[in-house]
Amino acid sequence: MSAPFTVPIRDLTKSGIPTLAEIGDRLRGGAWVFVGLGILLLVLGLFLQPERSWANLLLTAFNLACVGLGGLFLLSIQSVTGARWSDPILKAHRAMPALLPVAGVLMLLLWFGASTLYPWARPDAASQHALHGRLAWLNTPFFFARVVVIFSLWIWTGHRLARHGKGSAAFILVFAVTFTLANFDWLMSLEPIWSSTIFAIYGFSGMFLQGIAIVTISAIVLRQVGLIPAVSKAQNHDLGKLLFAFSCFWAYIFLSQFLLIWYANIPEETGPMRLLLQGKWMPLFYLNLVLNFGLPFVLLLQRKAKTNETVLLATCTILLAGRWLDLYLQIMPPVLQGGSPGFGASELGGILLQLGLGHMACWPVFMKDVNPAQELPQAE
Amino acid sequence: MPITESLCNSRFRASFAEPDQLLNAVKHLRAAGHRVLDTYTPFPVHGMDEAMGLKPSRLPRACLAFAVLGLAIAVGFQVWSSAIDYPLRTGGKPLVAIPAFIPVAFELTVLLAGLGVVASFFVVSHLRPRFHIPDLHPGSSDDRFIVAAELGPDVPFPTVAKEMSSLGATESCLLVDDRFHRESSFWDRPAGVGTLLVACLPSFLLVGSVLLLNRDFQQRNLSWDGGMGAPIAAQAYDSSGVLKGGKVLQPPPPGTLSRSASPALAFLAGKAEAERAGRELPNPFQPTQAHFNRGKVVYERVCATCHGREGDNNGSVIVARGAFAPTLLVSPVVRDMPDGRIFHIATFGGPTKMQGYGDLLSREDRWKVILYVRELQKAAARPIPAGGQP
Repeated sequence: MSAPFTVPIRDLTKSGIPTLAEIGDRLRGGAWVFVGLGILLLVLGLFLQPERSWANLLLTAFNLACVGLGGLFLLSIQSVTGARWSDPILKAHRAMPALLPVAGVLMLLLWFGASTLYPWARPDAASQHALHGRLAWLNTPFFFARVVVIFSLWIWTGHRLARHGKGSAAFILVFAVTFTLANFDWLMSLEPIWSSTIFAIYGFSGMFLQGIAIVTISAIVLRQVGLIPAVSKAQNHDLGKLLFAFSCFWAYIFLSQFLLIWYANIPEETGPMRLLLQGKWMPLFYLNLVLNFGLPFVLLLQRKAKTNETVLLATCTILLAGRWLDLYLQIMPPVLQGGSPGFGASELGGILLQLGLGHMACWPVFMKDVNPAQELPQAE
Repeated sequence: MPITESLCNSRFRASFAEPDQLLNAVKHLRAAGHRVLDTYTPFPVHGMDEAMGLKPSRLPRACLAFAVLGLAIAVGFQVWSSAIDYPLRTGGKPLVAIPAFIPVAFELTVLLAGLGVVASFFVVSHLRPRFHIPDLHPGSSDDRFIVAAELGPDVPFPTVAKEMSSLGATESCLLVDDRFHRESSFWDRPAGVGTLLVACLPSFLLVGSVLLLNRDFQQRNLSWDGGMGAPIAAQAYDSSGVLKGGKVLQPPPPGTLSRSASPALAFLAGKAEAERAGRELPNPFQPTQAHFNRGKVVYERVCATCHGREGDNNGSVIVARGAFAPTLLVSPVVRDMPDGRIFHIATFGGPTKMQGYGDLLSREDRWKVILYVRELQKAAARPIPAGGQP
C-alpha cells in the first residue's frame, strides 16, 4: 500500500501561505463580532417587525441543524458503503455535527415566538374550523417536546457516529423519520392547511446539496493551506460531479412538488404557490431556481469546470446563497401573510448568526480532526 | 490490409501481472520514444489515459449535441401539437404550458443523449457487427495486463524486452501475424447483412401490423386503437335504466351553487312578494348598448320561443304547437309593471303559465333582458309608418 505521508505544514508558513491555525485565529474575532451583531440585529428586529425576526431565527436554527445533519448524512453513507475515497479530502463533515446542540437551543428559543410564527399556536386556533382537527398534534407543549426528542436523537446518534464511527445504518433510519417530522413540523406547519407529501424530500435535497457544498469548500481550503497533499484532479472532479448531480436532484424534487400542485390546481394546495408565482415574490421564486439549479448546471457542465477550484468555489458560494433563499421562500411568505419580501435587520442578523455560530461550533472540532501531525495517505 | 514483414517486426506486446507495472511500462515506453498502440486490461486502469497520452474524449460534445436535439424535439413537438396543430385547452392551463412540458422534455433529452452518445461511441470506435477485435493475449480478459507498442527507430527488440522484464513483464514478444491490424468489411459478409435485417425486424413488424390492421384509410375496419371513437360511457341525454328518473343527466345536488353565484335574493315566490319586488328592486343596469345587446341575445335564445321575437306571442312553441299563449309582453299591463316586478316573475315564474328562470339565467341576464323588453314595448307603441313596414 501507499507510504505514510506527513504534511509539510511548517514549510508552507515560510512561503507566505497561512496555516490553518492562523486562519482560525483570524476568523475567531470575526465570528464573535458576527454572533454579537447577529443577536443585536435580531433583537432590534423584534421591536421593528417581530414576525420577521422570529422567522429569521427559525431559518437560522433550521439551517444550522441542516448543516449538522448534512455532515452526519455524508459520514453515514460513507460509513455504510465502506467508502474510503473521500477520507483524505472530506474533513468538514466530521465537524459539522457540532452545530446540532446550538441549533437545538435556538429552536427551543422559538417557544417565545411560537404564537407569532405558527397559526396553530395562536389563542384563536381552536375556533378555526380548518385547524381544529390538527390541534391534537400541533400544540405548543407537544411541539416543543418533539423538538427536544428529535434533537436528542440527532445529537446522540451524531455523537456515536462522528466520534466513534458507530451506528451509521441506525442513524440513516432515525434520520429518515426525524428529518421528515422536523420538516413537516417546523416548516410546513407554518401554513397548517397546506400540505405536500414530498416536502421532506425536498428539504433533504437542499440540505444534502448544501452539505456537499460545505465539504467541497473545506476540501479546497485545506488544499490551499497545504493540509491535503496535492491530490489528483480526479478528486476535484468527484466533488464537482457530486455537486452537479445533487443540484439536478434538487431541481428534480422541486419540479416533482411544484408540477403536481400546479397541474392539479386544488385551491387548498395552490394558495401558497400562487403567492410565489404571481406578485412580488415571483422574481425570488425564479431566482431560487437559477441559484440552486440553473447557474450550477451551466457552471459545472464541462469536465474542465468540475476540476477547476475557482469554479467549484464560486458554485458552492452560489449554492449556499441559494439554500438560504430556498428556506427564506419556504418560511417567509406564510409568516408575513401575503406581505412583500424584504431584506432588513433581521435577515442580515440571521445570516451573520449562522456564519458566526457555524465557525464557533465547528472550527475547534475541525482543527482537532485535521491535526497536522496526522498521517495522511499519499495521493497518486 | 496485408501486413508487411518490416511492420510485423516493428510491433510487439508485453504482458504484466499487475496494473501498476503496466502503468509504469507504458510511461517508460513513451519516454523512450516508442509508440504505444493500445493497452488491453481486464478492467479500466486509473491513470492510463494520462499515461498513454490520450487526448480528452470528444464524446461529451456529441452527448451535449444530442441532448440539445432531444430537448428541441420534445419542446418543439409539444408546442406544435398542443398549441398549433390541435389547440386544446386542458385544465384551464395555457396552451403552451411549460411546466407540463418539462417531464417529456427531460425524458427525451436524456434518451437522445444516452442513445446518441452510445451510437457516436460505436461510430468513432469503428465498432460494428462482425468487426474483428484483436485478441492479443487470452489473459487480457482475465488476469494479464497487456501493452502493444511499435518500436522506436533504431532500438532492437531484445533491448526493449529486457527493459520490459526488468519492469515486471512476464513475457514479451514480437507480433508476427496480421491479427493486430486486420479489419473486415461489413458488407462482404452475408452474416453482416443478416444482422442488419434482424435488427430491422421490429420496425418491419410494426409497419406491417399497422398496414394489416388498418388497410382502408377511408372507412373504419379492423381497429387497433380499442375503439376510442365509440365510447361505452353513457351520453348526457340518453335514457338510463339505473339512474334516478330514468335519465343519465341528473339534476345538481340540492344546495349546489354556481361558481358565479350572487348572494341569495331576499324574496320568496308569490304575488305579494312580486309586488314588493316591484316597489323595492330598481334595475341595477343602465340601458346602455352593451347591456341591451346582451339582453337581446338572452331574449332571443330563451324568451322568444314563447313570447315571440317582437314580444307579440308569435313564438315557435305557440304557433307550431298551439300552446297556451303567455301574457303579451307589449301589452299595457306589462308596460306598466315596474322592472322589479318583471324581474320577480322572470325569477320565480308568473301568475299564469310562466316558469321561473332563476335557475337558468344569471341575475345580470334577467335584468338585461328587461332592458330589451322595454325597448320592444317602445317599438310596439310607436305607430306603424305609412309604408306598411312592421
